[in-house]
Amino acid sequence: MSGSKTPALEGGRPPGEPRRIGWLYVLPALLVYGAFLLWPLVRGAQFSLYHWDGLGTATWAGLSNYTATWSDPVLRGAFGHLLVLVAFYAVLPCCIAFVLVGAISRTRIRGLTFFRTVLFLPQVVAMVAVAVAWQWVYSADGPVNTVLGWLHALGLPDWRRGWLGDFTFALPAVGLVGTWVGIGLALVLFLAGAQKIPRELYEAARIDGAGPVREFLAVTLPGLRRELAVALTLTTIMAIRNFDLIYMATGGGPGDATKAPAYEVYNRTFNTGEVGLGCAIGVTLAVLAFAATAGIGRLVEGRDA
Amino acid sequence: MSARSERVLNHAILGVFAVIAVFPMIGVVAQALKLPGQVDFSTFGTAWREGHFGTYLRNSVIVTGVTVVLATVLSIMAGYALGTMRFRGAQALFLLFLAGLTIPTETVVVPLYFDLRSVGLDNTYAGLIMPQVAMSVAFGTFWMRAYFRSVPPSLLEAARIDGASSWTTLWRVLVPVGRPAILTMIVLTTMWTWNEFLLPLVIISSDEGLRTAPLGLSFFQGAHKTDYSLLMAGALIIAAPIVIVYVFLQRQFIAGMLSGAIKE
Amino acid sequence: MPTLRSRGAVAAAAALVTALAAACAPGSSDDKPESKAPAAVSTDVAKAGNVTLTVWDQEVQGGLKEQIEKLNAQFQAKYPNVKINRVSRSFTDLQKTLRLALSGGNPPDVVEANQGYASMAQYVKAGMLLPLDSYDQVYGWKKRFPKGLTDLNSVTDDGKLIGSGKLYGVSLNGEIVGLYYNKEKLAKLGIQPPKTWAEFDQALATAKGKGEVPIAFGNVEKLPAMQLYGVLQDGQTGKEAVRKLVFGSGGSWTDAPNVQAAQKLADWAKAGYFTKDANSIKWDDTPANFAKGQGVFMFGGTWWAPDLNDRMKDKVGFMLPPPAQAGAPTATMGGESLPWSITSKSKHADVAAAYINFITSPQAMDVAVEAGSLPVLPASKQPDAPLLKEVASAWTELSKNDGTTPYLDYATPTFTDAFGGPLQELVAGKTTPQQAMKKAQDDYSAFQKKK
Repeated sequence: MSGSKTPALEGGRPPGEPRRIGWLYVLPALLVYGAFLLWPLVRGAQFSLYHWDGLGTATWAGLSNYTATWSDPVLRGAFGHLLVLVAFYAVLPCCIAFVLVGAISRTRIRGLTFFRTVLFLPQVVAMVAVAVAWQWVYSADGPVNTVLGWLHALGLPDWRRGWLGDFTFALPAVGLVGTWVGIGLALVLFLAGAQKIPRELYEAARIDGAGPVREFLAVTLPGLRRELAVALTLTTIMAIRNFDLIYMATGGGPGDATKAPAYEVYNRTFNTGEVGLGCAIGVTLAVLAFAATAGIGRLVEGRDA
Repeated sequence: MSARSERVLNHAILGVFAVIAVFPMIGVVAQALKLPGQVDFSTFGTAWREGHFGTYLRNSVIVTGVTVVLATVLSIMAGYALGTMRFRGAQALFLLFLAGLTIPTETVVVPLYFDLRSVGLDNTYAGLIMPQVAMSVAFGTFWMRAYFRSVPPSLLEAARIDGASSWTTLWRVLVPVGRPAILTMIVLTTMWTWNEFLLPLVIISSDEGLRTAPLGLSFFQGAHKTDYSLLMAGALIIAAPIVIVYVFLQRQFIAGMLSGAIKE
Repeated sequence: MPTLRSRGAVAAAAALVTALAAACAPGSSDDKPESKAPAAVSTDVAKAGNVTLTVWDQEVQGGLKEQIEKLNAQFQAKYPNVKINRVSRSFTDLQKTLRLALSGGNPPDVVEANQGYASMAQYVKAGMLLPLDSYDQVYGWKKRFPKGLTDLNSVTDDGKLIGSGKLYGVSLNGEIVGLYYNKEKLAKLGIQPPKTWAEFDQALATAKGKGEVPIAFGNVEKLPAMQLYGVLQDGQTGKEAVRKLVFGSGGSWTDAPNVQAAQKLADWAKAGYFTKDANSIKWDDTPANFAKGQGVFMFGGTWWAPDLNDRMKDKVGFMLPPPAQAGAPTATMGGESLPWSITSKSKHADVAAAYINFITSPQAMDVAVEAGSLPVLPASKQPDAPLLKEVASAWTELSKNDGTTPYLDYATPTFTDAFGGPLQELVAGKTTPQQAMKKAQDDYSAFQKKK
């Protein structure tokens, strides 16, 4: 580590001598990255300081677009919906997956590869196609209402409704699609993590007379911290970036019931001509995504950021 | 509880969730084929013709292919330098790329649109490809750096003693050895690029001939709201390529996502 | 090496600030497209060389699609040097994409740009559409169409006033939002097509009592409720008041008759007169459901007529919404279909003008009739199908009475969300008529102030 000025930042020791040629290798990637991701980020921050309809001339707005993200009731509502969506996209799948893994981690599982493949499938299907599929699931004669119809025939109240057009249920209905996508991811992650927990720990716990619950709390849960952090991060970001589903399935309706910030970025910019406001929401989303990534890692893993 | 009954229970739980995971998709297939009662492949033909899915798939192949090739080459080079060389600013560069992992498309899509438009890159392949290369490079550099750091120093040492230049060492020694890591990266980048919707929605605003598959599906939905079987056929057409790749390379998909890919 | 490091940070920050300052503020000065002198207009399409004309329309349904396909084929047969690249998408998709496409570097040549402050006025203000006055002097469009119709397609340069300024488009079809009814069901229920609002209310109650869906209604898009509200509003207040209100020259959405119209909508929703869960049924599904027998009545535009005629033959009837007193003239929303406009960046404006002249010519009106759609001007041909005959006579009657009122979404750029959203709540019983109308007025007055 001789000659290193900042050992804390350096991490492990890269082999070889200091080489300026390194810059040449990084340069092409850096140029593309800088021009097409970092520069737009800077420009987005700049746009967010203007009032602009996207067509004519812009006027200076200061921070008023940012105050609008909180004072505009529709946008405040949209950020509120984001919280609900995070619960459905991130918290719920992780909880369900945890319970399941707790139940099944005590034994080896045959055919795990098959289950993994199937459970993970929702992750790889384009969200646009998922949205089309779920519109059918929720439709008037779709499977959800069909099953509820059977229950009604058995004497239960009639719960059938137009789920995606219902002021109360549209947001949870959208959220459940996220739960559906997220559960497989969390379950596969936790299963993989649980398989890595040494068998001896379980055996030791059993010799100590631990039941399933104590075994879960003492062995499984601590062993899965890293996987939990990854699952929470991925699913939270998915909730934050929830554009495709809302655009395709509800368009933010009924009323403003399913408007989420990611949708409002597009809606404000290109439908109602409030480009500065759209950019301000976009920048806010970037901050939220960054905070979620850093925050969850710190919270769950206890690692320093 | 006996071990045997426990095993049965485990499989039952996994089975139930597996069914939940595939249920909407089975519904989609059933609707598209007009099951039960008949097996009718004609909806696919109709969807294909009326929805111009041939054009859309071709565009998606072009955009995804070019994006993945460019991003892979750039990421390997950058990851190589950041993982094996020491030079001033390397750490800062790494953090810079890392920061890009959390930037949502939603944040950059608006300025991208207006700036690409002012240089005439809206409604072009380039305007669609370059931003996606940039996003993929953020992940790719992070990913490849991790791989190159895991390469045993002795390997690099040996190459150097043989007199290989850094360039030769990279492409002749390290890349062949790192095929699994590179494959994982390619698979993930392919999936993200293929499934991307917001960027083409905004960048391909007027040229119908450049629409990618997900964008095509959204317009198809606009025109065929009432016809579920046709819509489902369209959804299947655009989802199928990635699902097929996934079935064959599921190990790479899952490994990549499990290692904490922060994107999406 | 802290000094070097912090120096680097300062340098980077300085570079960023410089870059930000150098980067131009978003937006450009709006230079208005100049329309050329009438003398410079070339009407000789054959001499234009090989031209590909990109045309964006929203004629995706039944007879509307058929008429435009025929007209395009005829135009291309007449001028083999012109190739029409037709891009058609649903009304909703066209609304969503047109703004982006027009502001892009290479917009289509001809577009159907919706009237109103949400669309045409904004595009004009931004200089995206070509003023057609010089073409009008050559082709005589203002003589071809009545003033009421050309006014709807005219805007001042600053986009502030619809109805004056320059002409930006001409239309091919007429439109009315009227009342469709299922003749079979009416006969079974023993009721006649209503002649007054009171009769209509009675008919709805009868239908409900017999277990029918009185009004087929689908309202995912928010616009359907705005059209339904508009019909009710036209029944409560005078046409002049509605026109003034929509075009921003007087009145308030919270005026008593406007609130009463909302009250009526709420009452109907509460009485269960609409299709169940209307907010989750898509607009285009409504006529499909109606044709399947779900619904005794349906409010809808004449753009659905060709399709319904194919599906229901003589089982379906069409009429203007009933007046307050029997025999009195009715007013309802409608007028002309989306105007065909030329974009200011089009390189083939002369050819584009010849094209829109061709597809709005008297011959084109006949093609429209043949295809089963409603031409905006009287045609020499008459439709055969009973439904289309009813549509045509309703149009004649409405034109005679000068009874068309503008669509409400013309009022402000954000009205579909700002008023359509509360109307969805009203349909779901989640808000009161007063609150819904207050939200409409809030959005409206904010826009009037900004304008």
